Amino acid sequence: MAKLTIEDLKKIKEKVHIDTALREGGARVKVTVHMGTCGIASGAREVLDALMNVIAEDGVSDVAVTTSGCMGLCSREPLVTVEVIGKEPIKYEYMNPNKMRQVFKRHIIKGEIQTPFVLAKGAEIVK
Amino acid sequence: MKVYRSHLMICGGTGCHASGSIAVKEALEKELEKQNLTEEIKIVETGCNGFCAMGPIMVVQPDGVMYVLIKPEDVEELVTEHLVKGRVLKRLIYKEPITKEEIPTMQEIPFFANQELRVLRNRGLIDPEKIDEYIARDGYLGMGKALTDMTPEEIVSEVKKSGLRGRGGAGFPTGTKWDFASRSQSDVKYVLCNADEGDPGAFMDRSVLEADPHAVIEGMVIAARAIGSHHGYIYCRAEYPLAISRMNIAIDQAREYGLLGKDILGTGFDFDLEIYQGAGAFVCGEETALMRSIEGHRGMPRPRPPFPASQGLWEKPTILNNVETFANIGQIILRGGDWYASIGTEGSKGTKVFALTGDVNNIGLVEVPMGTSIGTIIYDIGGGIQDGKKYKAAQLGGPSGGCIPAQHLNTPTDYEAIAKVGAIMGSGGLIVMDEESCMVDVARFFMDFCQDESCGKCVPCREGTKRMLEILTNITEGKGKDGDIELLEEMAANIKDASLCGLGQTAPNPVLSTIRYFRDEYEAHIYDKKCPSAVCSALFASPCQHMCPIEMDVPKYIALIKADRLDDAYKILLKTNPFPSVCGRVCNQACTSRCRRGQTDEPIAIAALKRYITDNGRRLVIKKVPHDRKEKIAVIGAGPAGLTAALDLTKRGYAVTVYEELPEAGGMLRYGIPAYRLPRETLKEEIDHIIAHGIDLKLNTRIGKDISFEQLKKDYDIVFMAVGAHKSYSLGVEGEDLKGVYGGVEFLRDVNLGKKVDIGKKVAVIGGGNSAVDAARTAVRLGASDVTIYYRRLREDMPAQEEEIDAALAEGVKLELFTAPGKLTGKSGRVEKMEVIRMKAGDFDSSGRKRPVPQEGGNFSVDMDTVIYAIGQQPDISFLPKDRGDIEVARGDTFKTTGRFKTRMKAEGFFAGGDALSGAAFVVTAIDAGHKAAGEIDDYIRTKNNEPAWQAPEMEKIDIPTDIDEDVIETPRFAKEHLKITDFVGNFEEVDKGLSKKNAKLEANRCLRCDLSDID
Amino acid sequence: MKKLPDVDITKEFTPEQLKETDKIIARFKGKPGGLIPVLEEVQGVLGFLPVSIQEIIAEGLGVPRAQVFGVVTFYSFFTMVPRGKHTCRVCLGTACYVRGGRAIAETLKRTLGINEGETTADRLFSLESVRCLGACGLGPVVVVDEQVHGRIKPGMVGEILSHYK
Repeated sequence: MAKLTIEDLKKIKEKVHIDTALREGGARVKVTVHMGTCGIASGAREVLDALMNVIAEDGVSDVAVTTSGCMGLCSREPLVTVEVIGKEPIKYEYMNPNKMRQVFKRHIIKGEIQTPFVLAKGAEIVK
Repeated sequence: MKVYRSHLMICGGTGCHASGSIAVKEALEKELEKQNLTEEIKIVETGCNGFCAMGPIMVVQPDGVMYVLIKPEDVEELVTEHLVKGRVLKRLIYKEPITKEEIPTMQEIPFFANQELRVLRNRGLIDPEKIDEYIARDGYLGMGKALTDMTPEEIVSEVKKSGLRGRGGAGFPTGTKWDFASRSQSDVKYVLCNADEGDPGAFMDRSVLEADPHAVIEGMVIAARAIGSHHGYIYCRAEYPLAISRMNIAIDQAREYGLLGKDILGTGFDFDLEIYQGAGAFVCGEETALMRSIEGHRGMPRPRPPFPASQGLWEKPTILNNVETFANIGQIILRGGDWYASIGTEGSKGTKVFALTGDVNNIGLVEVPMGTSIGTIIYDIGGGIQDGKKYKAAQLGGPSGGCIPAQHLNTPTDYEAIAKVGAIMGSGGLIVMDEESCMVDVARFFMDFCQDESCGKCVPCREGTKRMLEILTNITEGKGKDGDIELLEEMAANIKDASLCGLGQTAPNPVLSTIRYFRDEYEAHIYDKKCPSAVCSALFASPCQHMCPIEMDVPKYIALIKADRLDDAYKILLKTNPFPSVCGRVCNQACTSRCRRGQTDEPIAIAALKRYITDNGRRLVIKKVPHDRKEKIAVIGAGPAGLTAALDLTKRGYAVTVYEELPEAGGMLRYGIPAYRLPRETLKEEIDHIIAHGIDLKLNTRIGKDISFEQLKKDYDIVFMAVGAHKSYSLGVEGEDLKGVYGGVEFLRDVNLGKKVDIGKKVAVIGGGNSAVDAARTAVRLGASDVTIYYRRLREDMPAQEEEIDAALAEGVKLELFTAPGKLTGKSGRVEKMEVIRMKAGDFDSSGRKRPVPQEGGNFSVDMDTVIYAIGQQPDISFLPKDRGDIEVARGDTFKTTGRFKTRMKAEGFFAGGDALSGAAFVVTAIDAGHKAAGEIDDYIRTKNNEPAWQAPEMEKIDIPTDIDEDVIETPRFAKEHLKITDFVGNFEEVDKGLSKKNAKLEANRCLRCDLSDID
Repeated sequence: MKKLPDVDITKEFTPEQLKETDKIIARFKGKPGGLIPVLEEVQGVLGFLPVSIQEIIAEGLGVPRAQVFGVVTFYSFFTMVPRGKHTCRVCLGTACYVRGGRAIAETLKRTLGINEGETTADRLFSLESVRCLGACGLGPVVVVDEQVHGRIKPGMVGEILSHYK
């Protein structure tokens, strides 16, 4: 890959505005599984596997799955963020493979937020 | 086609399979066969219906009833109920979640709302393995600015301006460190990142490396530019494999983009870095040791100077900063030092990340502006202590730090302020400990860590930590000696002075800080051989017995209940407690607080079991004890302390006279605690039993009035003052002396004396303790229709027992929290109105609870017939002569003892105990004081006479069953049976009905017999 | 002086393992500060670092044997005795300790019948205690190989170990 200049940095910044990139890629929903050491230890990897499997089983193509680091609230791990593009992200707490499947079938496919598993909506504010 | 009357649609999706639907299906098949239903009912396996978390799921058609979370053992009941009897099995039915429930936003959750994200600004938002996502959030722009628009001097000056201090713990100003290194002349310089996060309980750096590795790289490149370095290392502990792997990916990506390596961003600046894996040595967190380690040697520190800024790694100028420090740099350069310094305190700018762990509700990573109080982090962000327990201390700075006790929760996160209270900011590990932690054990734990991790170079550290550990281990095992605390302090000072590096210089800190704040716990271990938190298991067999002030032998009497040997059980009770039927009813039950059964479900109902014995067992027949000693002893006050001491001394052959001002004996048990909690005949029986040993009880006799104090001194060799605390603290508001305004104890005493007390209909009770609740429930029984308790804090802060509060509420008493009384006004001398001041939670007070402060504009006034204030009580010492001589009295009119004695006073021949010494406490603490007084009085007399110490007579041996493996049925804690009352007025019948034989035996079966655990 | 425990490397290790060891040494030869990475990688291949292997490394890198031995014994990561097929590490960091880590360690010792730093006779399990794995949110924590088991109670220990038998 070519080496970057400052200008390139700014271009990447504009291009990679995460929302935009997703839409261009044809994604309707972005799911983030938070995978720090604590998340993985409480089963985030199993949650991620369950999600990948159910996506494959259902042959869905407009769900982008990504991973991220620790959200900070280790005692409620595993945490998963579901963001239907254009709507507020929803954070689910204490996830497990079965809850993940339910969130997939009900929330990601049908749009029904699975309130009993929800920690919060929205994102943290960085001043 | 075959027609079935019902279809069982069982979900066969992956989720339900994983939660056991196959086993359920097989169980169903078997059950249908067993009940001959296979011809009528068909099982159908369906695809996933989406309620995976509730699996296994089954829908019964055509009824459409959905069953969830089915287990194979539920199947029989399910088939019988639903398919045979046609009744829906309610316990397995799916309940619709409340969908209307508002979902909170992240800002509505205190854990997130009180944080300020700078270092953690990308948490949860970016994929750490995708550099583009980091760049999209302004990543590498600070580096770009530093490399193109700024000179090295300008970078250093910007960092200086930000006020950033080293986040590894020492807090050295980062800009100054860089300045030194930039001035050092050398062709080769190094930038090192300390990611050897060895402090147990700290995981900030791991999280940053895992979640945002590029931020660290960016900071290091900027640092390299500032000091003129071209090579760097990240020294990361091998215990963090995920962090290392993500960091390696990040480094590769940065190299590919030309953000590391030659000619970065086309600016001509070269810098590259690599990861160096630590091999597990805490001391390598020290900068010179870390450098020795990278050089391939044992990680041992060396003396400074020369400082690494002039001679560091391979003798070249080197800077070492911690992960969090570097993660701040990119933003500081991009947004300016002034922006960074805009938050924080005078000496500590910006934010600090803490790893919040231990006994706190929200465990996790927290970033707050410097200056945020420790209490805010623990209570507002951390959500307080788990399981409603009490806060004891938080360890800050790990093995090099100290603890922050409840009285210092307002301490701001500021390097200097934290040092002042004896801890250090450290790298940010904040471990919260609740009342169940033993601080001596904690100190021993950290000393064990330090002596294990000492590199061995400096003798004071290597040998000193070992010796200190030995002393601490001895103390926790009950082998502590007088002088140990002082010896620890002396050794601590020597180790601090004579060690080369931070490890040794700080290793004694946890010991010093726990001695500073919890010296009483050390003393309890050393002198009383007690661990107040029941942690140091070498000191006891069962925690219940250890927690009981009079060490009642709980597991033994519970075992005897199981064996139906109640008479023997009664003997066990009376060995330590002359008031077992009282304590079976009104004890504060410290015993249950550490009950090991409570770790599984709920603690054993110990007091209820004790009462069951006294309700159903036979008491011993008492014979008078002969007075074979010449000394005469007077006891003032016939409460639990006075009577216990009198009994013990009588048993030792002394002639004891007990003086009581009131018409009956019992003290607070008779005149404070209402009859519906402690029936009068039960109490009288117990007291008669004590008196029958041969105690001379003189009722209606007040010292200072009926007999002069001087006379008493003349007539007796010893005087034990156990006068209790029978005077209410005054309220201190205007109108307190109006008619209809009572102190809590005075009110209860009048009622219990049988006086007619006219309280009207509307009654206000001020206070949150047991007396306040007693007063409120008594008011209900006197016919008040509207009784309200006004309390200035939260309900969980009320000192009254939880079940007492519940009972009061059930009887119609109302609770007004966060209120305090203002002015009282009245007409023709009788109270009519009470002003109420609305309170709110302020900062933390010395008890670690939030201090109630008046809330602007929230005041209101209420009509009142009676106001009862029960905000605390103190002894009435007006019986003492004006000239008290050597009888010392403390603030609050409580007596003072001398030296290490628990009851002996400075005045020759005088002893004191119970509430009169401790201030208002509990029955069982008063009994304990009585026992202690008797022991100290007897010792005093015998020492004076040059007699040998008293030998307790041989006790009757009671054989205790040890069968713990019998076939027990596990049951939850029983629900208490209560008197069903519709009309309380005039009804002082006991409310708690005690245990039936069946329930008592089931409850006794729940005991884990901790006293036997050492036998096998 | 007590003789250090050693093994016959030709019996203990395969020729492939030894060849791999030589390769690692060659890769770091002459590189400053290469000793610790070599030890880390070699231990990764062989499982432990007996004296004979330390001698090979010392010779290969041209550093004194005493330095190799000093480094191996200084850092807790290195071991001179073989480890079991599975390494069971119980965390005794502060957060795990205050939440009951000690009881877990005791149960593990009893269940496996070995002390910390030892390996079961069948070489199936090695038991170690560690000072904080950074998974404090889940304390008390036991790690078997790479798998983290969090929020452990003493009663769960047997069940966890059974997965590795």
